Amino acid sequence: MELKKDRLLEALALLREGSDVALPLPADDGGEPAFRLWDGVQEPFLGSNTSLPPKELLFPRSEGMYGYNLKTGELSDILPEARTAVFGIRPCDVKSIENLDHAFLEKGYVDSYYRARRDGLTTIALGCSEAARTCFCDSMGVAPGDAPGADLMMNDLGDAYSVKANTEKGEAVAKLWEGLLSKGGAKAPAAPACGFSVKADDSLPDRLTARFDDPMWDSLSKACIGCGCCSFICPTCYCFDIGRENRGACGTAFRCWDSCMFSDYSRMAGGHNPRPSKKERLRNRYLHKLAYFSQRYGATLCVGCGRCIDKCPANLDITRVMDMMEGVDANG
Amino acid sequence: MSDRQEKMRQSAEKLLRDGEVGYVIGWGATRFCDRTTPVFIDSPEGAASLVWNEHAVNSLAKYLLDDKYPDKKIGLFARGCESRAVNRMIKDNQVKRESLYLIGVPCDGKSSDRCRLCRERNPLVYDVLLWEPEANAAPADRFERVRGVEAMSPDERYRYWGGVYDRCIRCYACRNACPVCSCRECYVDMGRTGFQGKQHSRSDNQIFGVTRAFHVGDRCIECGECERACPMGLPIMGQTQKMLKEINELSGEYECGLDADSDSFLGRFDLDDKDEFM
Repeated sequence: MELKKDRLLEALALLREGSDVALPLPADDGGEPAFRLWDGVQEPFLGSNTSLPPKELLFPRSEGMYGYNLKTGELSDILPEARTAVFGIRPCDVKSIENLDHAFLEKGYVDSYYRARRDGLTTIALGCSEAARTCFCDSMGVAPGDAPGADLMMNDLGDAYSVKANTEKGEAVAKLWEGLLSKGGAKAPAAPACGFSVKADDSLPDRLTARFDDPMWDSLSKACIGCGCCSFICPTCYCFDIGRENRGACGTAFRCWDSCMFSDYSRMAGGHNPRPSKKERLRNRYLHKLAYFSQRYGATLCVGCGRCIDKCPANLDITRVMDMMEGVDANG
Repeated sequence: MSDRQEKMRQSAEKLLRDGEVGYVIGWGATRFCDRTTPVFIDSPEGAASLVWNEHAVNSLAKYLLDDKYPDKKIGLFARGCESRAVNRMIKDNQVKRESLYLIGVPCDGKSSDRCRLCRERNPLVYDVLLWEPEANAAPADRFERVRGVEAMSPDERYRYWGGVYDRCIRCYACRNACPVCSCRECYVDMGRTGFQGKQHSRSDNQIFGVTRAFHVGDRCIECGECERACPMGLPIMGQTQKMLKEINELSGEYECGLDADSDSFLGRFDLDDKDEFM
């Protein structure tokens, strides 16, 4: 099926009757393009991917976990009740949500806050028709034109979008849009070539971890300024800290984004820090992206969206480590 | 351009070959021809990877704080902005002049917006100058943007800064890129001190912004690295510049990093201060 482009806002308005709708929206007031809740009027920003990833829809920068009253000892749950449909999410970012699912829902612990938001989320993906020069998703196992993990997949056909439901949630959207859809859209256009490619095969995790003590980490990390930019704009970085905010006898426990690039992230009680400098921190971040997560969940945590390459203040490039590993085996 | 690049490579190679410096901090290539990344060259052969073009935008001085007590001198390519940072860092007891070999490279203008307010392209301190000084371009009006914010009503101004700090992601790139932000441990990294909530909220983001601005405001060399580094494109140098504008109005012409002897405005101390509370 296909949806004519001039009916897109109508289609989104239909969605908005039953849930919040998040869209990639242009920089507001000098900011950066990001996924934000739609006001029913604005045109989506579809020219390139957003500077900020969509992870905030599932994993907000800060979220309350429970409230407490120190006088009465009362505790109150804070569970999100979010019903959100997100339109215009790219295949790399759909893959990133699959990765967040692994981290928050698997291996014996289900994160109830994430679960609630995830259950309420419908993903309507838009295949890329143009790649940015920092894109390398096809090296990381993502097809820029197709997101099998999305509920509904759409592709740009020129004057229309193809529409294909992948899941029950996706079928529900297609049914909602029934009156707006027309026949066609069977053949998705060819996906664009990524900006560049790197070699990241199944042996990369073992080859990288075998190089834990390699001097390459010194040279890779020297230019790093130790900020958390890469973690916060990464669609799959999911580390958080937990804190409390008190107002008199009452308070709220919250969790908020944290970054392994910060010194206090790994500092232990008593002040010891097993990752004392940016070398250890950068190594940990790269290895988490390219090795540890794969070893634990069988999926690479880096999805090749290229945001960190685009925004790093020092122009560091995570793919350099993959280039350096070319032709290097796990034993030597 | 390439002639200058060649001079830089030769200079670094000789310094390394003669053992004058342990390493040289300069700019090197990335995957993209319009971007460079700071590089740390420690062998004469490595000097061939140095790059000099309009995209050499990163200020290099901050990296001196990573190695405050080097075994050998550090070679640093210094333009106006690096030299002003070095002056400030020497006065703040962060680096020692004798630990540095400053290779002066008058700046021919770079592609970054941060250079918009540049008032000094030529290094103010150096050990060698690789080519003739450049004429300083007439900078944009130094406090134009500050006046713009000052002209707002209090409500407009709150909306303006509130909007800025709603978008701040607290990555601290501004802090980490700033050459005069030099605390050994930043208060935001100290854990639960109670001064600074870690949650991402407008008020906690603003507290970080205000604290940062006050902490570096009277030492700001106006290099613009904070804004260049900010992934959200926030106009945060406007805050330190507001401090500088106030200082200018209170005590006359004030600019930081022009020499290594001047006290910072808030670091001055005078027994004859006429304020009674002193």
